[in-house]
Amino acid sequence: MPRVVCDIPELLDRAPCGFVSFGDDASITLVNTTLLDRLGYGRDELLGKHVEMLFTRAAQIFYQTHLFPLVKLHGRVDELFLLAQTKGGEELGYLCSAVRYERDGLPAIDCVLFEVRERRRFEDALLAAKRVAEQANAQLEAQALELEMQQQLLQEQTAELERANRAKGEFMATMSHELRTPLNAIGGYAQLLEGGVYGPVNPEQVQAIGRIMRGQRRLLGLINAVLNLARVESGRIEFTLVDLPLGEIVGELAVMIEPQMAAKGLVYRVELPEDMPIVRADREKLVQVLLNLLSNAIKFTESGGGITLRVVVDPSRADTARIEVADTGRGIPVDRVEAVFEPFVQVRSAQSRGGEGTGLGLAISRKLARGMGGDLTATSELGKGSTFIVTLPRIDAA
Amino acid sequence: MSVNVLERNNVAVSGRGTQPMLFAHGFGCDQHMWRFVAPAFEDDYRVVLFDYVGGGGSDASAYDPKRYSSLEGYAQDVLDVIHALDLRDVIFVGHSVSSMIGILAANREPERFARLILIGPSPRYINDPPYVGGFERKDIDGLFDMMDRNFIGWANFLAPAIMKNPDRPELGEELVESFCSTDPVIARRFAEATFYADNRRDLAAVRVPSLILQCTDDMVAPLPVGRYLDAQLPHSTMRIMSATGHCPHMSHPAETIALISEYLQPATVSA
Repeated sequence: MPRVVCDIPELLDRAPCGFVSFGDDASITLVNTTLLDRLGYGRDELLGKHVEMLFTRAAQIFYQTHLFPLVKLHGRVDELFLLAQTKGGEELGYLCSAVRYERDGLPAIDCVLFEVRERRRFEDALLAAKRVAEQANAQLEAQALELEMQQQLLQEQTAELERANRAKGEFMATMSHELRTPLNAIGGYAQLLEGGVYGPVNPEQVQAIGRIMRGQRRLLGLINAVLNLARVESGRIEFTLVDLPLGEIVGELAVMIEPQMAAKGLVYRVELPEDMPIVRADREKLVQVLLNLLSNAIKFTESGGGITLRVVVDPSRADTARIEVADTGRGIPVDRVEAVFEPFVQVRSAQSRGGEGTGLGLAISRKLARGMGGDLTATSELGKGSTFIVTLPRIDAA
Repeated sequence: MSVNVLERNNVAVSGRGTQPMLFAHGFGCDQHMWRFVAPAFEDDYRVVLFDYVGGGGSDASAYDPKRYSSLEGYAQDVLDVIHALDLRDVIFVGHSVSSMIGILAANREPERFARLILIGPSPRYINDPPYVGGFERKDIDGLFDMMDRNFIGWANFLAPAIMKNPDRPELGEELVESFCSTDPVIARRFAEATFYADNRRDLAAVRVPSLILQCTDDMVAPLPVGRYLDAQLPHSTMRIMSATGHCPHMSHPAETIALISEYLQPATVSA
């Protein structure tokens, strides 16, 4: 049978934890041997001294800002972590629980201190992981914020661009309309003059009136093209898409184009596959596009050259039909090929000395081709000629 | 707006006087820390207590990390409370970091303040030779480490004694509410704003007369810091207390009350 032990103070003195008691002014009134031994002090060195002297500088602040206010207001604290410092300067981690009450008429704060070693290592790892996570989190938050700002900026820029584009389209449409009215007046009155309505005209005057009328027609053509482009860009053009046998279109074009070819002494060739494809397109607009390409080819090909209209069915792209207009003109420098589709761009060369045209035809043609679900592209080689390629969705795909 | 501030900062007004005494708590606690001192002034003053946003019973949802990243944000809390109650001739009583917060507020709107009472003030905690603040930077970093470690077991720390004091009935129902509770992240930021602050340049501009209550053996704001402040503040009076430590209003309330009263009502010189 175990021996009964009643000497509690002695047990407290040797208990496997530190014990210290102090007043509101932090003066130590009791301290057990376990704590004295661990911290390397004699009892006389601590009695009457401030309990803060047992702590590191950081823990002294913590004592004054947390431990003491808490124990004073609540009457107790539980499981506070504090760093103590031995007389020799070694830091020891302690968990501290304390109660405050009146003993012998004076406030006393009794405090037990459990040394934490293994736990501290575990907590160190936990804290390190927590800090890494916090840092990563902060980084992510910063990145998210930046992305959000970029997105907002992009949205603002897009909206701004859309506004600017709409304004441009509206401006072009309005201006074109305003210009056409006086031009029509010029044309009309020139015709009346030419017809002798206002009196007889001599041969010089007829020649001058002819020049006025040519100039008027050219300006009108330019303005109509601008208006068309504005309409296409603002999405106001409507497409009537039908199933269209390409054979029909090729026949129509030949009738319209052959006189001009012959007049300029060009050879016109048509190359067709055995099975002519059927495409999905707006008949009128497809004819407009192809006529534009053929007119350009005629314009930029010297007499004696050749122009080929070719319909190609590529087995690897069975859902698409290709119509090519190839000429044997001087061609376009490779780095300028894409530029010819920009509005108002003409590739200047000795060959295009006439400078006829608006510089809008290809821009409009590409937009029309794209509006029909296809595209208009070009390849070219200086000195050998250019090929413009219209692709269109095929509906008879094999 | 004013109602919002009163709720946001958990403002409590008491007392039978007219001149306001505004008590501002320090880092780590809330307005409850004044319970041993403030009632002594209720006969003669209008006593105003509050919690900074993020502490005590304040509205934590009003916490703005940017605003409260420096003591200026806390000084704005003081001015917000003053405006909300339209306080004039304020006797401002600040503990520890609130001393500097009060100085910043008083420099912004000196016409609102009659006196500053600074308990355990320090304009800078980290040594900057020849200036002695009492701490090296590593000591302060050690404090943050200790805070982090204690916040791992936050639940224990937050409410150490709620409903656990059947043997202390005199504390009554009040204990249902947790004193000095604070969000660990906010506490950590307040600690950084406090202990990395350097307000030495704000001292010369202080026009409001001030009382420095300097404790004996204050490890947080040692005597050289008190002397520095007394030298730098234009209209200051310093009293070295027999109280020890950093919280004389909690550890030695009688002496604290006596010194404040004496400063506010100087004895008439007998003929």
